[in-house]
Amino acid sequence: MSMQAMIDEWYPVGLFSQLDRAGRKTALMGEPIDVACDADGNARVTGRDGRALPVRVRYGHVWSSLGEPKKELFPIPEADQPGRRFVDVGVVRVRCSPLRAVENFLDIAHFPFVHTDILGAEPHTEVQNYKVEIREEEDEVWATQVKFYQPQAAKSASGGITTEYMYRVPAPTCSVLYKTCPPRPSEWDVITLFVQPLAEDLCDVWPWMALFDDETAMTDLIHFQQTIFLQDRSILENQIPRLLPLDPGMEIPTRADLTSIAYRRWLKRHNYTYGAQLVAQ
Amino acid sequence: MPSDTTGFWTPVALSRDLPAGTAMPARTASGSIALWRSASGRISASADRCPHRGMRLSHGFVRGEALSCIYHGWSYDQAGHCLRIPAHPGLAPPETIRVATYDVEETGSVIWVAMGTPASKPPRLDGLVPLRSLTAFANIAAIEAAAGAKASPDGIVEIDASTGTISLLLSPQDGQTLIHVLLKGDLGPAGAIGASRAAESLRRRAEGLQKKEVAR
Repeated sequence: MSMQAMIDEWYPVGLFSQLDRAGRKTALMGEPIDVACDADGNARVTGRDGRALPVRVRYGHVWSSLGEPKKELFPIPEADQPGRRFVDVGVVRVRCSPLRAVENFLDIAHFPFVHTDILGAEPHTEVQNYKVEIREEEDEVWATQVKFYQPQAAKSASGGITTEYMYRVPAPTCSVLYKTCPPRPSEWDVITLFVQPLAEDLCDVWPWMALFDDETAMTDLIHFQQTIFLQDRSILENQIPRLLPLDPGMEIPTRADLTSIAYRRWLKRHNYTYGAQLVAQ
Repeated sequence: MPSDTTGFWTPVALSRDLPAGTAMPARTASGSIALWRSASGRISASADRCPHRGMRLSHGFVRGEALSCIYHGWSYDQAGHCLRIPAHPGLAPPETIRVATYDVEETGSVIWVAMGTPASKPPRLDGLVPLRSLTAFANIAAIEAAAGAKASPDGIVEIDASTGTISLLLSPQDGQTLIHVLLKGDLGPAGAIGASRAAESLRRRAEGLQKKEVAR
């Protein structure tokens, strides 16, 4: 394990809408931190011994870092697009590596088995070929032309449709998903997975959405996503080993796992190994 | 338990706790395994880890004569060969994709798993009827001390209950012991409750002794 490469990255540490003066005690990569707002309503993140940590407020969340971020927090242009509803889904604590949580988010082949009759259903289990690349300029992992048959792709969907997906990994513990938007075929719904690494084998997962859906009640949108993530948790807490194996040989990927293969390669290239296992044990 | 240089049988569960078409986790001295019984009633034991993404196979589901991983539905036969990868329905899984399996036997309504290659069959437990299993956070020595008796070569400790003698079949695990409560014939509901309470009381005493042992 090396923290060095990942320490300068931005991580979500809480919902901005839930900040208060008293503060919230949490942790970032093993260090106890406190997330609060000051008298003027600005977010403050404090590390060990009262050290003030860098702060950004974006996409409904407060972001911070234990190191000195060399890059600005990644952009999500859709977050500024008029007409979208922004959904703070809340938090799901998962006893797994933060990297495993992201990898599961990038996977579609589990839909029929883990999210049965919602995001997938037998016999529609086939994963068709899709495109994966590491975009050098942005330094992001991208998967495009991902298609999957879904019985109920979104709260706004009625009946089964073939949904198209695009996945982005702009930071080691964050992923942005672009997905067919049932009420507006020309646009993409945006669903993100922001993962706060509490420790190498423990994380808080903060999903967030930017949707075109004026019909569904906010509570129902939140319940829908929470149902999905609780189903994922039952998997993530039962994978062996708990850390993400970066060395080949420990697990057997197939063509359906190309996004995961690229993600692991990208992590390895950048030495993003907090939450990873490098040598087969 | 019967042991020789090549291996031994370990009693991992009671037959009644694994109906046809189900899977369950079981612990052995060398870690967790997945136990499952096919639709036709054949019982199998495999490593508790799908080689694809490391998911526990004991969380999987049984259809027909195969065990499927709950994560991506990869299915395995009794010998551990991968039969099907649902994401690629047209692909015949390569021979190299397989999970390690263990020999399993059922005698006296107890499921035994082979650790290594035992030379003999598991004990027959003639005349004994399994009641239930319970886990004690205590080792064999603490259970023997609490019972005031030594385990037989088959791994059985006998204790006296108000309803008569009951047999406890012990299976050491990682820091714990799995206890299978066996009765001499059908004692009826009241007898079963009495035997169950006697076993729980023994467990409390053994765990108390173990705590003292650790504290010393």
